[in-house]
Amino acid sequence: MTTTAPTSVTTTVGPTTPAAAPRTTAAGALRSRLRSWRWPVAGMLALLLAVLVTSVLTPERSLTRFAPDNPEPTGGQALAQVLMDQGVDVTYTRSVAEAIGAAGPGTTLLVANDYGMADDVARSLLETGATIALVAPGATLLAAATSEVAHAQQSPDATPTTAGCTDPDARAAGTLTSRGGGLEASDASDDASSSAPVLCFTSDAGASHYAVFTSQVLPADESASTGPVVRALDDAGPLTNEQITTDGAATLGLRMLGHEDELVWLIPDRPVAAAEGGGMGDLLPPWAGVLFLQLVVLGIVCALWRGRRLGPLVAEDLPVTVPSSETALGRGRLYRRARAWGHAAAALRAGAAHRMAARLGVPRSAGAPTMIDAVSRATDRPTEQVAGLLYGPPPADDADLARLAIELDQLESEVHRA
Amino acid sequence: MVITWRAAALTALGIVPVVLTASAGAVLLWSVAVLVVCVVDALLAASPRAVSLERTVARAVRLTEATTSVVVVTNGSSRALRGIARDAWPPSAGAEDNRHALSVPPGESVRLTTRLVPSRRGDRQAGSVTLRTVGPLGVAGRQLSIPLPGRLRVLPEFASRKHLPSRLARLREMDGRAAVQVRGEGTEFDSLREYVLGDDVRSIDWRASARSTDLVVRTWRPERDRRVILVLDTARTSAARVGDQPRLDASIEAALLLGALASKAGDRVELLAFDRTVRSRVVGAAGPRLLPALADATAILQPVLVETDWPGLVGAIRERVSQRSLVVLLSTLDPSAVANGLLPVVDQLASLHTVVLASVSDPEVAALRAGRGSAAEIFDAAAAERGELERLAATMVLNRHGVDVVSALPDDLAPRLADTYLALKAAGRL
Repeated sequence: MTTTAPTSVTTTVGPTTPAAAPRTTAAGALRSRLRSWRWPVAGMLALLLAVLVTSVLTPERSLTRFAPDNPEPTGGQALAQVLMDQGVDVTYTRSVAEAIGAAGPGTTLLVANDYGMADDVARSLLETGATIALVAPGATLLAAATSEVAHAQQSPDATPTTAGCTDPDARAAGTLTSRGGGLEASDASDDASSSAPVLCFTSDAGASHYAVFTSQVLPADESASTGPVVRALDDAGPLTNEQITTDGAATLGLRMLGHEDELVWLIPDRPVAAAEGGGMGDLLPPWAGVLFLQLVVLGIVCALWRGRRLGPLVAEDLPVTVPSSETALGRGRLYRRARAWGHAAAALRAGAAHRMAARLGVPRSAGAPTMIDAVSRATDRPTEQVAGLLYGPPPADDADLARLAIELDQLESEVHRA
Repeated sequence: MVITWRAAALTALGIVPVVLTASAGAVLLWSVAVLVVCVVDALLAASPRAVSLERTVARAVRLTEATTSVVVVTNGSSRALRGIARDAWPPSAGAEDNRHALSVPPGESVRLTTRLVPSRRGDRQAGSVTLRTVGPLGVAGRQLSIPLPGRLRVLPEFASRKHLPSRLARLREMDGRAAVQVRGEGTEFDSLREYVLGDDVRSIDWRASARSTDLVVRTWRPERDRRVILVLDTARTSAARVGDQPRLDASIEAALLLGALASKAGDRVELLAFDRTVRSRVVGAAGPRLLPALADATAILQPVLVETDWPGLVGAIRERVSQRSLVVLLSTLDPSAVANGLLPVVDQLASLHTVVLASVSDPEVAALRAGRGSAAEIFDAAAAERGELERLAATMVLNRHGVDVVSALPDDLAPRLADTYLALKAAGRL
């Protein structure tokens, strides 16, 4: 705001008067840039620190199915935790070699979800001499352990089943609900040399969920003359955090895995099939990879080239924008929402009457009869019709209002003609 | 540091050795080589820190007219300065082609001229000047933005000046006419002259005719040296958009035309921009200095979102003038604003002065009134009609209090107000 003094006026119009020319050197520019970068850099450092601290403080968790450190519904942390509280030393591993190293006589080796395991790997696991617990065993592992138990031909329903066998663990558990594929005695089970497998939780279809048998693989160091006891459950589902409390799952899980003081919990990594082909990579020329690398570098250089702006943007202080007709529109919406046909019609009638009165020279103070009289004379319409239009009852709906508006327009145009 | 397209091209050239050797080492080696070339080139570029700048910009320019901003770049370094300079202005300053190629030998200067065509009234502050210097290879360089203050005042367009000649002609007509139709107290006796056909017979001076051989008529001239106070209301109602500009801008146009006309008619013009306090004021300017002063004072006005302090405004007017004046209120005819603001104080003004209220009406409301397309449009039309009736009622109330009301569309307000002024002058009501 400028306030011009009462008697002196110095303003001039036109682009002729040069203002005082400011002069600047770049001396302080670096300092100001450092100052302007201070907060973004501090913010980035704080963010980095926060990420580091969080990653250090957060306990390790996995999302692997049935892993003892997985607290999700599909994990096995609940079971592992109770086993540890009961004094069982749980060692979790995903490496077969580590498991073989840790397992031995006096330990329980739990192998879960082992689909795709090679035959020799399965045999070396069974040769450790540890008590074996299989949860959802793959065909290879099961076949390596025994020829007497195989996966069932027909999957049983996921209905609760009762133990119905002599195994004390199963009897203690009582009932079990599993969605597994089921186990059954295979055709070769009539071999009399080994003790017959015990099949528990047999469904109506004849498939069992739980089997206890002796492994046909002897320990590698020949410390025992018979193979270790193998307890096989057809599915990891009942032992997961979500279902461990249903039926006798907790009892079965704790007893099945708690026979020894040490438990090696193995969930093997998916084996990489060596025979798998190179895929798309084989079809490309050898320089494709490095070309891609160079293109990435080129992309970064182009981003740096195009990304640097030639100086900061200059902000514009924008004026307030309120359309002047806003109040009229708002009032129109209020009329509509209130279905105020009467109010709307009154406004239209008053407006039309005012314009016609001005045109016909009817004074503003004149009453309705004078007005009706003047309009009916000017338009040659009967007085009743004019009175109905200008002073009639309020319309009762949208259509009535529209009709009234159009008829008023017609009446007005006739007056204008006259 | 900043890199150019040549750095990207150099990197792209690296595809050849990389493909030929097919080794990742080549990628690394080439990238390092490009980096070294860029760093060396940037180091060899003239430092923008050694440059000194000087800006010259016009003090003021009328809206829609072009002006220039001149920046003198002096190369204070010992190397030749090559690169680009950008003279940054806000968008509404209309700085087109504000990027200039630079090539300045050591110790020499160059003038960079940026054309400015402003698109909005008000003060425009210049941004910084950005210098980007490149090295001898043109691969990389250095960049620096240096704040270089500069202010350009964009004056109102005064598009309504096209109406000035016709109004001045009518003023001259009034001036030399034998007799003004109404011979009130406000007209002053000027001289006697011979009767010509068409003169009002009532203005024949019989006494003078008796002394002469011809019929002699008295001539009158409109009174001069009256005071005209233009009051611009810059409060919230002036912020509303009418057409594509705020109501205030149309008011300023009307004030400028009336100011120019009244000044030519020999009246003394003052301007007061007011909402809750005096925002701008022009006092004591006359003749050729008046219009520039008015333009300068109104250039920086912006609507303020507060309610007008009418009693304060009356006080400010009373402070300035004690004799009878023409007070032109460039405000709005908004019924609620009139009822709560102007009406309680209007008698204090109208008893002393001739008061005219000039208000910009909205063409969109007129369009709304004609809407018959759907039920919603008819409701809007009814609302617009009701608004018009209320404005009419407010006009009548103001008329009863002795205030003349001029309400017109944005483009018509200035000429209509000028006509009202001429009519008042002709009627001797000033």
